[in-house]
Amino acid sequence: MPSVVVLAVVALYPVLAAVWLSLHRFILVFGERRFTGLANYAYLLGDARFGSALGNTVYFTAVAVAVELLLAVPLAVLLNRAFPGRGLLRASVLVPWAIPTVVSARLWAWMFNPDSGLINRLLGGAEINWLGAPGYALHAAILVDVWKTTPFVALLVLAGLQGIPEDLYKAARVDGASPWRQFRSITLPLLKPALLLAVLFRSLDAFRVFDAIYVLTEGGPANTTETLSIYAYKTLMRSGDFGYGSTLAVATFLGVVLLAAVWLKWLGREEARE
Amino acid sequence: MGRLLVVLVALGLAAGGCRRSSEAPGTGGRTRIVFKFQPLWGDPKPFRELLARYEQANPDVELVTEALPNASDLAHQFFLTSLQGGATDFDVLVADVVWVPEFARAGWVADLTEDFPPARLREEFLPGPVDAVVMDGRTYAVPWFVDVGVLYYRTDLVPRAPRTYEELRRFTRDAMAKTPGLQGYVWQGRQYEGLTCNVYEALWGHGGQSLGPDGRVLLETEPAREALAYLHGLIADGLSPPTVTGFGEEEARRVFQEGRAVFMRNWPYAWREAQAEGSLIRGKVGIAPLPTKDGQPGWGTLGGWQLAVNAHVSPLRRKAAARLIAHLTSPEANRVLALHYARNPPRLALYDDPVLRAEEPFIASLKDALVRARPRPVTPYYLLIADVLQSEFSAAVAGLRTPEESLARAQKQVDHLTGEQPEEAR
Repeated sequence: MPSVVVLAVVALYPVLAAVWLSLHRFILVFGERRFTGLANYAYLLGDARFGSALGNTVYFTAVAVAVELLLAVPLAVLLNRAFPGRGLLRASVLVPWAIPTVVSARLWAWMFNPDSGLINRLLGGAEINWLGAPGYALHAAILVDVWKTTPFVALLVLAGLQGIPEDLYKAARVDGASPWRQFRSITLPLLKPALLLAVLFRSLDAFRVFDAIYVLTEGGPANTTETLSIYAYKTLMRSGDFGYGSTLAVATFLGVVLLAAVWLKWLGREEARE
Repeated sequence: MGRLLVVLVALGLAAGGCRRSSEAPGTGGRTRIVFKFQPLWGDPKPFRELLARYEQANPDVELVTEALPNASDLAHQFFLTSLQGGATDFDVLVADVVWVPEFARAGWVADLTEDFPPARLREEFLPGPVDAVVMDGRTYAVPWFVDVGVLYYRTDLVPRAPRTYEELRRFTRDAMAKTPGLQGYVWQGRQYEGLTCNVYEALWGHGGQSLGPDGRVLLETEPAREALAYLHGLIADGLSPPTVTGFGEEEARRVFQEGRAVFMRNWPYAWREAQAEGSLIRGKVGIAPLPTKDGQPGWGTLGGWQLAVNAHVSPLRRKAAARLIAHLTSPEANRVLALHYARNPPRLALYDDPVLRAEEPFIASLKDALVRARPRPVTPYYLLIADVLQSEFSAAVAGLRTPEESLARAQKQVDHLTGEQPEEAR
């Protein structure tokens, strides 16, 4: 029972408080605070800026997580092989993940500088306006996220790989299965729970993305990199509009809950099948 | 829900690195007052001496200084949360030009009309800063130092400073034609407050006003459309590099200082760097008011900081705080800030000061630009709408939406936030 009380205090109270605030017009600087029911939610539905923030968030999450998964699986297979210096490599791939996001985002912002940044120089003096052009900026942010969290996903996948019994591969080799066939018929199916778990962790994380993008672009240009978290933060903390800011926070929360429910259901089905 | 606010306030205070204290009495029966400000860049000694002179002149007061984070956004968040919570642990605060109306309307800063009557301020101070601190005939803050947007040009590349937008475009085109690889006009186009300043300067230059006659923030106007079309046109026509949409002050300065641009819009701080020993453009830089559509000298955006008094403190502390403000905005203090920290004085008389004119001729030369400096819309709603302005201006400048669409969207959101259309009120 005490655990329920603790959970209620640390998890339930802030959520309920945000929901309650979202039912008010509550602007800090005006000392204005009145109950308006679902008016904030009605405005939310017609708010073009909310629509674009939701779109950016979903796009960021889908693309970043997909790319991370595609890169992490080969990386994990590689790390699972026995070769000299494996321990060192396993440790060093985690470096990007260990650097605080704000620091690495600042680093990347310099590298993305169109005039003197490393990236354009590596591209042979290209003049790509990474952080200033709509269309590029969000992809630049995705690149930073991929760079940072692929190692983490790879580690989760590696844990899954190590749970696959070596006997299966031996039997497959006896039957004359090619390495690709072994990967498709043994590795991938048995890795599925680990992959789903990685997708669950990463997509919940990516859906709430804030720090990397805030440091890179503050949501610009033209809000093309503004995610739900950034919109909520700006409304709450910069403008002091607590009512609508809370509405945005609740909407983000609902998005995360929905995402979690979908993945958990899928994960549960996978496990039931085994 | 009051508890949630308390938590937020506590977080704000923790972030500011100070403890909340109730009216702590000073030592030896003296009144203790706290001055909260961002540290000035440079040698701290002259400023410390200035503060010491206040204590000498006011033996009944114990003065304590506390540092704020050196970012306008963070400082604003701190004041927003702590003043809303009725904090009394600081007495004198610095406020950015756009905060004063907001804080005054919220009742968080004290009415200083008795100590600093508006009529006297208008006589002694530059007009722009006074407009930013006087609301409905009452004074809520006193200008401390000021800043203004100006045009930098390369004297070796153009015949003279351009007066009209057309001249600016022609000079840029000619200079770029002569020197391959040269960029044209660099300014601040990233989605942040600097962009809003650039847009308002263009808006005033096209004959527009910040506010409508009834005090409403008016955006769907012809000058505003022309201003956004002009800024986007600079990029579309190749007269400004496409990368300006990612530029803040420093990005623009770097390009200009490396000798790679013809014109730059920036604040006066860039002058010192451009003329420093070893600068590639030393001796080749001119500074002028921004151009306008019809050729009269342009209006630069007013920047800078004001001093205000926390409205929640006791009358005794309020009096001591007002005296501190009088001391820190005196001609003497103005001179200290100009000579040692290159901060432009808000007091008109200082621009005729022989010492200042001899030792800091550049600061003195900015008088004409400062007299014409204009504040962004003076409204208690400003910080509420700043975000909307930034994103819609950014969309128009980057060419994502037409000026008409951007302004219509901005107007709709601004009206919603300011409650201009009650039927849509949430």
